[in-house]
Amino acid sequence: MWAARITSFVLALLAGAFAQAAPPRAEVMHWWTAGGESAAVRALADAYRAAGGVWVDTAVAGSEQARAVAISRVVGGQPPTAALFNTSKQFLDLIDQGLLGTVDAVAVRDGWDRFLPEPILSTIRVRGHYYAAPVSIHMPTWIWYSKAAFSKAGVTKEPATIEELFAALDRLKAAGLIPLAHGGQPWQENVLFRAMLANVGGRDLYLRVIRDRDPRAIQSDGFRKVLLTFKRLKSYVDVGAPGRNWNDATALLITGKAGVQIMGDWVKAEFAVAKQLPERDYGCIVGLSPQSPYIVQGDAFVFPKSENRDVVAAQQLLAHVVTSPRAQVAFSKQKGSIPIGTGFDPATLDPCTRKGLAVMTDPSRVVGNDENYLIPDQNGALSDILTEYWNRNVPVETVQKDIGAALSR
Amino acid sequence: MVNFRRARAYVALLPMAITACVIYFGTTLWSLRVSFSSSRTFPTDNFVGLAQYARLFTDDRWLVSLANLAIYGTLVIVVCLVLGFLLAALIDAQARNEGALRSVFLYPYALSFVATGIIWQWLLNPTNGIQEAARRLGFADFQFDWIVDPDKVIYTVAIAAIWQSCGLVMVILLAGLRGIDPDIWKAARLDGIPAWRVYVSIVRPMLAHSFATATILLLTAVVKLYDIVVAMTQGGPGTASEVPAKYIMDHLFGRANIALASAGSIVLLITVGILLAPILYLRRYSARLAAR
Amino acid sequence: MSPRRAARIGLYAFLASAALCFLLPLYVMLVTSFKSLDEIRLGNIFALPGTFTLDAWRAAWSTVCTGVSCEGIRGGFSNSLLIAIPSTVFAIAFGALNGYALAFWRARGANVLFALLMMGAFVPLQVMIYPLVRVTAMLHIFGTLSGIVLVHVIFSMPLMTLLFRNYYAALPVELFNAARVDGAGFLRTFAHVVLPMSPPIIVVAAIMQVTGVWNDYLLGLVFAGRDNLPMTVQLNNLVNTTTGTRLYNVDMAATLLTALVPLVLYFTAGRWFVRGIATGALKG
Repeated sequence: MWAARITSFVLALLAGAFAQAAPPRAEVMHWWTAGGESAAVRALADAYRAAGGVWVDTAVAGSEQARAVAISRVVGGQPPTAALFNTSKQFLDLIDQGLLGTVDAVAVRDGWDRFLPEPILSTIRVRGHYYAAPVSIHMPTWIWYSKAAFSKAGVTKEPATIEELFAALDRLKAAGLIPLAHGGQPWQENVLFRAMLANVGGRDLYLRVIRDRDPRAIQSDGFRKVLLTFKRLKSYVDVGAPGRNWNDATALLITGKAGVQIMGDWVKAEFAVAKQLPERDYGCIVGLSPQSPYIVQGDAFVFPKSENRDVVAAQQLLAHVVTSPRAQVAFSKQKGSIPIGTGFDPATLDPCTRKGLAVMTDPSRVVGNDENYLIPDQNGALSDILTEYWNRNVPVETVQKDIGAALSR
Repeated sequence: MVNFRRARAYVALLPMAITACVIYFGTTLWSLRVSFSSSRTFPTDNFVGLAQYARLFTDDRWLVSLANLAIYGTLVIVVCLVLGFLLAALIDAQARNEGALRSVFLYPYALSFVATGIIWQWLLNPTNGIQEAARRLGFADFQFDWIVDPDKVIYTVAIAAIWQSCGLVMVILLAGLRGIDPDIWKAARLDGIPAWRVYVSIVRPMLAHSFATATILLLTAVVKLYDIVVAMTQGGPGTASEVPAKYIMDHLFGRANIALASAGSIVLLITVGILLAPILYLRRYSARLAAR
Repeated sequence: MSPRRAARIGLYAFLASAALCFLLPLYVMLVTSFKSLDEIRLGNIFALPGTFTLDAWRAAWSTVCTGVSCEGIRGGFSNSLLIAIPSTVFAIAFGALNGYALAFWRARGANVLFALLMMGAFVPLQVMIYPLVRVTAMLHIFGTLSGIVLVHVIFSMPLMTLLFRNYYAALPVELFNAARVDGAGFLRTFAHVVLPMSPPIIVVAAIMQVTGVWNDYLLGLVFAGRDNLPMTVQLNNLVNTTTGTRLYNVDMAATLLTALVPLVLYFTAGRWFVRGIATGALKG
């Protein structure tokens, strides 16, 4: 009898020894499920494996849904090792409830505050602690155009000001093409609005409205001009736009039926699937003035709090790997995003990404996305007002008043 | 001895009792409590009285969603009941091809709406869909662009909902029809009563319970309608095709405002209760009359 | 032409045109699933495929990437079965028992309970997720197969009970009384008298429950645990992407593949949709 006991004791010791050598295992929850996004995540998983970790993938399409499921699992006591959120105020409530762990050690050791853009830093660093590891940086308001459509309409020069953009749109209309390819969904209308606020309003007004929620800025003439320019774009959109998905709008550019699309840099993957190349088949305009703001929108992994040392080790390793230059370059090539940090050769990136990188490294031009500064509820309310203004005949003064009310909550 | 048997009934009903009280009633009470707070992502105890309800009823988007619920709700329920009955009666009347016909009208129910929503969007889109196809066939002035018209888009949602739910109503009514004594048909034919008369005057009243089931089923589907709107129109153009379930969902997850979402679902429950209560009361009253 | 014949032709014409309207979306789905992406991009949704290809179907089943894994939607098939079968069996069992007890045995207070239950049928299920997560976590079944089956049974109880209760209420009460006079008890009457009369409504209940459970992905995502994810999660990952590229042909193929199980059920259900069961029992 005690022989059995000794045997089991020894076995337990051995098992313990082997368990110590078990590789860090991370269950990662995210919403990158299709096409280029999938390939991008695989690049991250490969990097994690190369660093000695085990990547367990839990993909959930739909960013809102993925976040909801992550939160449910945290509440239910079975959190994933890491969950994807946007660099925004989405996970503030989680922090306040004490449900997230920190990655201060990795952040300090890798020097995140040296190479991350300020808007990103401000969302992942809360009350002095780092609660998230940024993975991708996107710019939502690029201006894309189809070279074939431009040449058909006789537009020879890439628009460099807002007036030139409207002139180009007029020429496209005259040539019988769809000037602006747009999908009539609230978030896409929001993209158009932000593009106009950045390009027509400028960095200062943008920050005063979105970050400071300054009532005087919202009721100002400058903001009124932004709203009117936004609404002016509607006359260049075709009648079939409502409800259209963003990639169906990109398809219009790809097939040469439309000229311009204002959308984030994830469209590059759609062009790539159709085997179209930047600068050859399509062009990318980062802004309509030399000082136009560069809006930064990001995704980051948060780490549900755990008492288990193995889990924490896996989290720390993940935070380090996903922000490392090699993983970043491999990831962003597939995702269309800008690689985070320094320490890689920009020549390996495509021309549009290079353009973006050049601007992003100028801190005087970088601003955060609306979700950077507004809580989800305020952001949503703003979106409702904008989409109603776009679709119906609402006087611009009413819109200004409503936005003022929504953002003052 | 009767009491002992009845005790078994009580025992059998225990799971239902627990579910109803703990889960459904309990959750509703919890929702009510949250709706009186300013909870964001997680429930908090920060009580704000009726502030969420006030916000709800000054929010155009919520009011539009309630109006839409009335419109497409009525359309879907009425059309599905009528169409479902017609189809069930027709299929019942002729013995051939029942499997095929049943599948033709029931298959929409099996398809997950995320993808079918894209199809409906394409079909109803004026540039690529039915309007364009009709025009190419020669009907140059044909117009069917409801889906981009803020005043008519809710009807397209109703069309898709009818397409999806009709088959189930048909099947429920068919099951009810199967329970009817076949001798009734023989007697009616002997008496020379035309078939449609039999259906309208004799069969339809006997299907009262099946109709009740189908109506309540449709009402629950209508109230919880969400997938279709998200997949087809995303609530657009603008907020023209907003529905209460989508409003609630958006605020529950995306906007991290569970207090407002809970207020919305309580209001929805009360609305349904107000609709159903008089009907239920009427039935009880008429049953009591009949028993007398 | 006799009025009878005209009526008959009219009926068939009506059935045929209704069938065509119902089949139109299916036609577009099928046609899209057999096209290449380049063709789809051109936007002619009604056109037959220029080059007919089964690539999308193959990809949907076994090679398309959803996240890190590139195994198509086949992976979750067995999980979907594991979740659907017990959910359906238990849901129907509870629904039938509840309906029987409510329809024939005047239990006091049962109608109040039933009203409470029906109230739950009008609450969007997403609203109930948070409380249910807490409850299942307390019972230590969050993230397990039993957890997801329990959740499905809970959500289906109102409508299942309604279905059976109304069906039994329409049956001739003489049968029930005859059984009681013969001395049969609660379960005896149920098993020997009521259940044999139930096939049509059991079929309807099965159709509803199998469809609902098979097509559900949100509850499966939240409550089933990572090892039991149904195939609809993969389907949703494919079709519902936010900023990823959309492979419309694969989406359609995957949706049709996922729908095959409920569709097969609908088609084969006919055997039990038999006429005159109730009255046959009365005569015999």
